Amino acid sequence: MSQEFRIKEKGYINRNKTINFKFNGKNYTGYEGDTLASALLANGVHLVGRSFKYHRPRGFFAAGVDEPNAKLQVELNGHSEPNVNATEIELVEGISATSQNCWPSVEFDIGAINNLLNKFFPAGFYYKTFMWPKSFWYKIYEPFIRKAAGLGVASIEKDRERYEHKFEYCDLLVTGSGPAGLASAYAAAKSGAKVILAEDKHRFGGSLLMDDVSIDNLSGKDWTDKIVSELKEMPNVTVKNRSQVFGYYDHNMLVMFERTGDHREKKSEFTPRQRLWYIRCKEVILSTGSIERPIVFGNNDTPGVMLSSGAKEYMKVYGVLVGRKPIIFTNNDSAYETAIEFKNNGVEPLILDTRKEQNSDLINEAKNKGIKIKFNHAVIKANGYKKVKSAIIGELSDDKTEYKNTNNVECDCICVSGFWTPSVHLASQSGNKLKFDKEIDSFIPDKSKQNEITVGAANGDFTLKNTLNAGFKAGNEVSKKINNKDVAIQVPNVTEKNHKVHDKFWCSPLPKNLKAKRFVDFQNDVSVTDIEIALREGYRSIEHVKRYTTLGMATDQGRTSNLNGLQLVSNIENKIVPEVGHTTFRPPFTPVTIGTIVGREVGKHFMPTRLTPIHEWHVKNNAVFVDAGAWKRPRYYKIGNETMLDAANREAKNVRDKVGICDVTTLGKIDVKGPDAAEFLNRVYTNAWMKLPVGKARYGVMLREDGMVMDDGTTTRIAENHYHMTTTTAQAANVLSHLEYYLQIIWPELNVNVVSTTEQWAGAALAGPKSRDVLAKLFPNSNVSNETLPFMGYMEANLFGIPARIFRISFSGELAYEINVRSDYGMFMWEKIMEIGKEYGIQPYGTEALSTLRIEMGHVAGPELDGRTIPYDVSLEGMVSKKKDFIGKRSLTKLAFNQQDRQKIVGLIPLDRKTSIPEGSHLVLDKNAKLPNPKLGHVSSSCWSVENNNPFSLAIIKDGKNMIGKKLFAVSPLKNKSIEVEVISSHYVDHEGKRVRS
Amino acid sequence: MLYIKCPYCGMRSQNEFAYGGDASVKRPELNKDVTDKEWDDFVYNRKSLRGKHIELWHHVSGCRQWFKAQRDTATHEIFKTATMNEEI
Amino acid sequence: MQKYSVFSLIKNAFSDHMNWEVAWKDPTPKKEYDVIIIGGGGHGLATAYYLAKEHNITNVAIIEKGWIGGGNVGRNTTIIRSNFMYDANGRFNEFGMELWRNLSQELNFNVMFSPRGIINLAHSDAQMNAYARRGNSMRLNGIDAVLLGREEVKKHIPMADFSDDVRFPIFGGLMQPSAGTARHDAVAWGYARQADSMGVDIIQHCEVEGFNITNGKITGVRTSKGEINAKKVGLCVAGSTNILAEKLNMTLPIETHCLQACVSEPVKPLLDGVVTFGAGHFYISQSDKGEMVMGGDLDGYNSYAQRGNLPTIQHVLTGGLALFPFLSRLKMLRTWGGIMDMSMDGSPIIDKTHIDGLYLNCGWCYGGFKSTPVSGWTFAHTIAQDRPHELNSELSLNRFSTGYLLDEKGIGTKTWIG
Repeated sequence: MSQEFRIKEKGYINRNKTINFKFNGKNYTGYEGDTLASALLANGVHLVGRSFKYHRPRGFFAAGVDEPNAKLQVELNGHSEPNVNATEIELVEGISATSQNCWPSVEFDIGAINNLLNKFFPAGFYYKTFMWPKSFWYKIYEPFIRKAAGLGVASIEKDRERYEHKFEYCDLLVTGSGPAGLASAYAAAKSGAKVILAEDKHRFGGSLLMDDVSIDNLSGKDWTDKIVSELKEMPNVTVKNRSQVFGYYDHNMLVMFERTGDHREKKSEFTPRQRLWYIRCKEVILSTGSIERPIVFGNNDTPGVMLSSGAKEYMKVYGVLVGRKPIIFTNNDSAYETAIEFKNNGVEPLILDTRKEQNSDLINEAKNKGIKIKFNHAVIKANGYKKVKSAIIGELSDDKTEYKNTNNVECDCICVSGFWTPSVHLASQSGNKLKFDKEIDSFIPDKSKQNEITVGAANGDFTLKNTLNAGFKAGNEVSKKINNKDVAIQVPNVTEKNHKVHDKFWCSPLPKNLKAKRFVDFQNDVSVTDIEIALREGYRSIEHVKRYTTLGMATDQGRTSNLNGLQLVSNIENKIVPEVGHTTFRPPFTPVTIGTIVGREVGKHFMPTRLTPIHEWHVKNNAVFVDAGAWKRPRYYKIGNETMLDAANREAKNVRDKVGICDVTTLGKIDVKGPDAAEFLNRVYTNAWMKLPVGKARYGVMLREDGMVMDDGTTTRIAENHYHMTTTTAQAANVLSHLEYYLQIIWPELNVNVVSTTEQWAGAALAGPKSRDVLAKLFPNSNVSNETLPFMGYMEANLFGIPARIFRISFSGELAYEINVRSDYGMFMWEKIMEIGKEYGIQPYGTEALSTLRIEMGHVAGPELDGRTIPYDVSLEGMVSKKKDFIGKRSLTKLAFNQQDRQKIVGLIPLDRKTSIPEGSHLVLDKNAKLPNPKLGHVSSSCWSVENNNPFSLAIIKDGKNMIGKKLFAVSPLKNKSIEVEVISSHYVDHEGKRVRS
Repeated sequence: MLYIKCPYCGMRSQNEFAYGGDASVKRPELNKDVTDKEWDDFVYNRKSLRGKHIELWHHVSGCRQWFKAQRDTATHEIFKTATMNEEI
Repeated sequence: MQKYSVFSLIKNAFSDHMNWEVAWKDPTPKKEYDVIIIGGGGHGLATAYYLAKEHNITNVAIIEKGWIGGGNVGRNTTIIRSNFMYDANGRFNEFGMELWRNLSQELNFNVMFSPRGIINLAHSDAQMNAYARRGNSMRLNGIDAVLLGREEVKKHIPMADFSDDVRFPIFGGLMQPSAGTARHDAVAWGYARQADSMGVDIIQHCEVEGFNITNGKITGVRTSKGEINAKKVGLCVAGSTNILAEKLNMTLPIETHCLQACVSEPVKPLLDGVVTFGAGHFYISQSDKGEMVMGGDLDGYNSYAQRGNLPTIQHVLTGGLALFPFLSRLKMLRTWGGIMDMSMDGSPIIDKTHIDGLYLNCGWCYGGFKSTPVSGWTFAHTIAQDRPHELNSELSLNRFSTGYLLDEKGIGTKTWIG
């Protein structure tokens, strides 16, 4: 019979809609509104998984985020996801779930042999063994341990679903929609404050859905519905269910994830699966409620043992009985409600209360209903392997350390309640130092660190009346702070049952003759004995206990185990709990899908892609692109079956012989303007700038303050107080910040402004002996002769009606020009140049050819300017002014920078004139020397010299130019290469620099 | 994510800013003889203390102004921000 | 001292584990020690151990303001490697690798050193060349290194994104096969247990409040548990170096920053070694428990808060997802922060100071854990012999004045740029 544990007409599920799902290959049904857990329990399924270490059978222990056991591998929408909390995931058609960490099945798991041997696997056992023989660790022990690792299986399929981010600002964020949250949100909203109310479950109301209370003569559920619908009507309020606030960061920034996709049956490809909210709020009200904590007893991990509040939630919210013969084991009144609910559903519970005979509203109600209560009793041990069958119970002695008598009682579930633990995670994350409240044996928030108030059960307030009062008051206080409004709200009338003080009993003593594991942390299999061993061995700090035993480090992060762990340490160490202290609460409150944290920046959107205005042309002309920072640059233009080297050599040769064109839009461009611009450049660059006339360009090198070359480029004086600076593509952003730093902080007296114009200009480099011919045709109305536009000259001209800038600068070492037009005209310019250049044999060239051309010329670039070279190292000493001061100059006096044998740039050619020298090779005197083999330097850039038709490299080696003529070995052990090379000048082509001036 | 008051633009989230280090470090004047120690104190040596720290921030994705902030390096509380020519 | 072995484990199992001895004692401080090591982290504990073992100096105290192993040794991503370009860093750490290989046996404590390799991925030819430079340097120093092409990388990490839907395709990578990971806490505890057994006093919850210096010579420290005299004092407090330096009137080339890390929920083994992404700040390994251990970038501003901010985690995981799309459906379980000594060239400092008898071990940046044994070994030597060992002679404090910098990344002094 399906859903045989479903109670008739109870709960808030939709019985009109049956949902089919699978668990461990078997078909089941549930209802809309179920969680996977409630649907399985409705079908009488308790055994859902195996524990991490001992592979003990485990069942549902809770009904929400506090669940330690029920982590399943879930298949949904074609994706398989590990470690899904069955108590949180909503049931939708087609879900297929399987148990994790068991083989061959959850019913029969080979790994359970560990349980039989558990005596030999106490806390920290792995630190003490697997050390002999030594090699066995790598070869045998560790591979075996790794095999046993992990819970679920990560799918390596790409995630096809979508995750989004949202940034929100509000006056007040309320986390949790229980009574405290509803009251505070309502009070603040009434005053007009901008409020966000976040609830992690799909139903609002928190404890109001379960507790037997009335507010203004409405049931908790009805009152919740009324308030929520009112809030939803208000334009200043955002009400969000399925939304878990999981992190409280600095400056009142909270983060929340919203489950937007998985519960929907129909969704478009644009429906996000989850959404991450960054919420910056003025005030925060933490109404996160509390979590019931268990009492520790023998075999307390057996399926069928669960929190009393969980059992109640399954009955009240989902209409599911977790058993037909329940024992309610409690040290407080709240579990009586669970017992009464059982009774109301026709089930006879047995209450074991560790306290002496008591009377309170609830206890009396239970008595009146004829529920059997045994005061002064405890469960000592559960019996049953895959499901609880009976329990050994005992009457406690006066000091509660032993039993007056014991007996075995049949049962099919044990609902345990060890009182309530406020959920203080978010408060603690905010920086709030917690304090220990002796009344409730728990930590509660102390003084607020940020603008946060904790109210209700999260603050240790367990009565509805106080909670509502505190909520309304907090909401009102917040609105006073925000809007200066004091909107008095009538606090509703509340009827609830009074509770008697709870008993501090938290762990059932184990009589000598009984052997059973008593678990403190379920998922990580940490028992009372483990913690005792840790302390015995001197791991006494609570952090040591945690790390040695792994207490609280499982995926539930110790929600149900931390306080009991502390209690145990406190008992053994004879310290009070606050002296033991607590381990740190860190985000996230619950595990968050990594896809959600990342959002839309996936695949190609990992980083923005910057394209030049000429990009389409490159694509059409078979460009192969290379990433240069965020930019895409043509690396080479492939013709036919050319290799990259063929293409690059063809393109470079064409520049040397005829004319080539290169898209240089990506170079950084900065406008430097103001009366003190010359003085500023003079300080920024290593060379002199005071006398550069208008209409001239100059090459400049800038250093960091530590003396290392930061960047190089040409700067042109466009007008009296206007300079156009270019930077390398890679350093464009850094250089701008660098300039702003000096202008705004160090030399504010300089009247200069800088602004990036990289995006404003499209640039084409026209290089080669025929470039002037092309230029002349491009600008028929301008005189571009060597006399009027000499090397390092500049002019403004008109490109078929479009304003253009012509710079006579060269990176290739050839006669060359750089033409800039407004970006929008970039394509026009490019196509015009190609059209006009056709008769001169123009060809586009990419970054590979560009490299070849500059390497042959001995021009340094990124590989040489790697942040570790000073100007002297890279043959730029001529650029360093002796006369004036500049950024980084003082560092150039350092001892190491002035050593004769400092590594400096040279050129290299292979002796055989054939073998290319791989970049990253090192130079050594003796290729066969014993290791470590002393290195003289390294090969920074290599090319095939199109001018000399043999390989050529730049290298940075000890003693630099003094080594010219020497023969060395360029060795690359990685590539198993060793090439005999000769050291030559780094200027391999046109040493005298005639061509650029021709 | 910190919430930083740019003296020019107002409150903005940290992702609009770039950090610039200790603002109390003074660059030696140009063309002045400085000892090795003075120079290294400028380039390398930092107090980097726990507690109140006066530091530079750059509103890179905003007005592109550098400014000063006084922040607690242990709690990240920002007490004050100021333009470069204001005292903090 | 009790010897740990499978036999002692079985023996103790039959006495219900009631007879295990404490791993280390909790002594009250003596009046005077030959050497005080400030900082009960990995490096401090290792230093004390090697002082006793290699130099027979056992009248030693370790003073720790919190609990031992609570600093960066317990907050790192457990990566162990010696894949450095500079000789000084490479040889130093390769010596350390040898110590790692024997550490479990030497300490009789399984630190689970597991050499499953590290791959630094490259996403451009320029990056491949930079790695070749580094890898060749390693090889010439006798350190193992392999340059992998795209297809070889694929064999190691087939689950990485080799599709066309990537922003920065994988070109290849540099692998150090002998690199790996270890169980971080075990390293601290193993050193502590052995040091304790040789007579070292481990004094927890004892904070240093000041130093006693007479005529340029250190004579002791003032602590929350009173004054303790010492002939020599070694500082091993990465993350708090600047705070103690202030008490010594020293300004160091170090800034203090927060580095975050995070782990996913445990999943079945999928990733064998350590992988670093070359187009963003991200590195990852899978622990023996099954958790994906991930880290990346500094929060970006001076910090003493062992708590970080989400944008950095987001930034790091974005890199992670670009590399390993399978991470999308895993859940991030825990994040935490550690406080780093960021030195101005990215390399550590192990040296004497201008104060006689005061020694400095700091500036470990992101990479202190891997050097724990060799740092302790060389620092013990430096303290015992009053001069650096050849291995740490270049890790000097004055290299910032002389210009003999060890800037592996070439990014200069802006330590907040990762």
